[in-house]
Amino acid sequence: MRDDVSDATRRASPIDTAGNAVIAKAHAAGRQRRFGQISIEVRRSASFPLRLFALAAALVTGLGLSAFALILVGVPAESLADEFVSATILDPMNFKAVLVQAAPLILVGLAAAMAFRVRFWNLGIEGQMIFGGVGATLVSLLHLGPEWARLPLMGLAAVTCGALWASIPALLKLRLSVNEIISTLLLNYVAYYVLLHLLYGAWKDEDGFPHSPAYAASELLPNLDSGVSVSLVLAGGMTLLMTYLVARSRAGFYMRFVSANPGVARALGLPVANMVLFVVLVSGSLAALAGFVVSSGQEGRLTQSFFPGYGVSGVLIGFLARNNPVAAAVVALLMSVLVIAGQNLQVFYGIPPSMVQLIQAVVVMSVAASDFLVIHRVHWIRYRA
Amino acid sequence: MTRRKKAVILTAAASIFAASLASVAEFKVEGAPKAAIILFGPKNDGGWSQAFEEARPALEKALGAKIPMVEKVSEDSASISPPVERFIQRGYNIIIGTAFGYSDTFKKLSESYPKIAFLNASGITNGPNLESFYGRTYQSQYLCGMAAAAASKTGKLGFVAANPLPVVNWTINAYELGARTINPDATLTVVFTGSWNDPVKERAAASALIDEGIDVIGQHVDTPTPQIVAQERGVYGTGHHRDLTEFAPKATQCSSVWTWAKFLAPEIEKIKAGSWEPAPYGAFPGIKEGGTDIACCGPAVSADNKKKIMAARQSIIDGNPVFTGPLKDRDGKERLAANVAITDPELWTMDWFVPGVISQK
Repeated sequence: MRDDVSDATRRASPIDTAGNAVIAKAHAAGRQRRFGQISIEVRRSASFPLRLFALAAALVTGLGLSAFALILVGVPAESLADEFVSATILDPMNFKAVLVQAAPLILVGLAAAMAFRVRFWNLGIEGQMIFGGVGATLVSLLHLGPEWARLPLMGLAAVTCGALWASIPALLKLRLSVNEIISTLLLNYVAYYVLLHLLYGAWKDEDGFPHSPAYAASELLPNLDSGVSVSLVLAGGMTLLMTYLVARSRAGFYMRFVSANPGVARALGLPVANMVLFVVLVSGSLAALAGFVVSSGQEGRLTQSFFPGYGVSGVLIGFLARNNPVAAAVVALLMSVLVIAGQNLQVFYGIPPSMVQLIQAVVVMSVAASDFLVIHRVHWIRYRA
Repeated sequence: MTRRKKAVILTAAASIFAASLASVAEFKVEGAPKAAIILFGPKNDGGWSQAFEEARPALEKALGAKIPMVEKVSEDSASISPPVERFIQRGYNIIIGTAFGYSDTFKKLSESYPKIAFLNASGITNGPNLESFYGRTYQSQYLCGMAAAAASKTGKLGFVAANPLPVVNWTINAYELGARTINPDATLTVVFTGSWNDPVKERAAASALIDEGIDVIGQHVDTPTPQIVAQERGVYGTGHHRDLTEFAPKATQCSSVWTWAKFLAPEIEKIKAGSWEPAPYGAFPGIKEGGTDIACCGPAVSADNKKKIMAARQSIIDGNPVFTGPLKDRDGKERLAANVAITDPELWTMDWFVPGVISQK
């Protein structure tokens, strides 16, 4: 029965390649608003080339505005391209730094994108990251399992802890209608204090300083022979898995349905609550993996400061990627280029960090604004006498 | 002799040889010395980070070149490594870090770049080309404790502290010991906020202390908030990091201040001259060597007491260890026997409080 429904709906509604919430769009398509001689109409569907063109145009606009601002504060115009393109992407050491930065960003971007697909506004990514780090460190401290199995076990423990932590706001929302924007955000503070409690208490290092004992060599995420870190492979793998989940699996179809109209979905017998719970657990697991990747792949122990900033970045990436997993990975990569290029500017031109943030904001806002033009068609109406 | 044993002995011999080589070989940077600072906070944070920004001109003079800095580099390796490697790539060979959380990453970087000199304030890792450094803040805070007791009418002092770490615990203990040289009945009530930089909690803590009848507030947190609250409520305070009369001219009577230029300029000179030898357990300069000092005293401290404070400062410079026996902790356990001065390892593991300190356990 359910399959019949889904097949019928599949035929009835245009499902775009990106796997977006097309039902919602189809619902709004054709709606028009007029502002004087400008008419704005919601497009029925946006073609892939159009999306790509809009993204490219947005990047050019954003970078152009930034370049203008940078020239105003005294950066020589001729070295700008050099800093942004060659120094950041073509220099092997810089490019490595971009990739190091990208792996956890891809994971938190995916975490946000997945949760947003079922209209669960997960602002608790940092708390879930913390529990990912806590889970991984627990395995390290207890020396669970043989050495060769240590890393997979750490990953598994991270995912379990992150998912359990994410289940709290999910159940609160589903059972008691507690607004998840508030609960996820506030639970971040609880998670942080749990972390401090561990690091100042039971898990304090022998040296007396508030971080966990260092992981053993077998507990550090290694680099492959090609120099690519396992963290990045993990992030890439998750991107593919989420793409399959969203675009090919039945769960993905249910997700679109739940997102478009939870009431109708429930009336047609879809397991809405279970669907939401499942996706939130996936989202929490992805965030926890990010925590694991940072702890084990970069820090080499549980520290107090491995997570700040990732929550906001994740939400931003999810939003800019319009909840599409592949797009999230691409946006995360671009974000890390922006971060590293920003650091270069700070290092060599003494640009204040607020200026760097301004540039990042301008680029991000240009991309967000371009989205409007993709979704809407703008007409100029000529009056006839 | 089994092959394995032989191998062990050979390895041991090789490592001894390597160690002797390492101690003989003097550290020397390649090319002209160029220094850069990796700053934890914004350079105008009013405290910890700004103290380095203010030391910079003197360091540039010692080096004979401009010293660029990157601000707001947070304590995770993905944030620390890229700017450091960028500097190294462009010929910088003296890297000065400013955070505890840089310790591990600086250790790794110092191993990957053995020809680069690394210095890290409040770090805990050291090596042949890496030196962590921190000031003996218990000396300056002892003096501020004296000023606090001098300014207090009730003898009830308060303290807003970040986290119960040894570096904070010794500050608190020294503060109380100093206070008791002026007023033997002085007590010190301590609130830990759990954060280095949380103005909201610091405000709440300072207000609660004042509500308890406390009339001087000391601090070991990164913002000037406790001083500002003290001024608003018409009581006194003592500051940390920098001279906080800038923020609370009426309240602040004494500040424990960093004097990094006095310590770092000679270090840079030594690196330049090729005679730098990082202290194997880190550098720990006091008022004498230039890590810390006081900005003292405000008008609430009488001229007589000011004289006492300055005499105590001189005695610390002359070698008075501040923590010396007989000294019991507040639970009655003997910590230092008569005429025994505290050792550095004992300072770095201090997890006890002197009598008169009131705090959560």
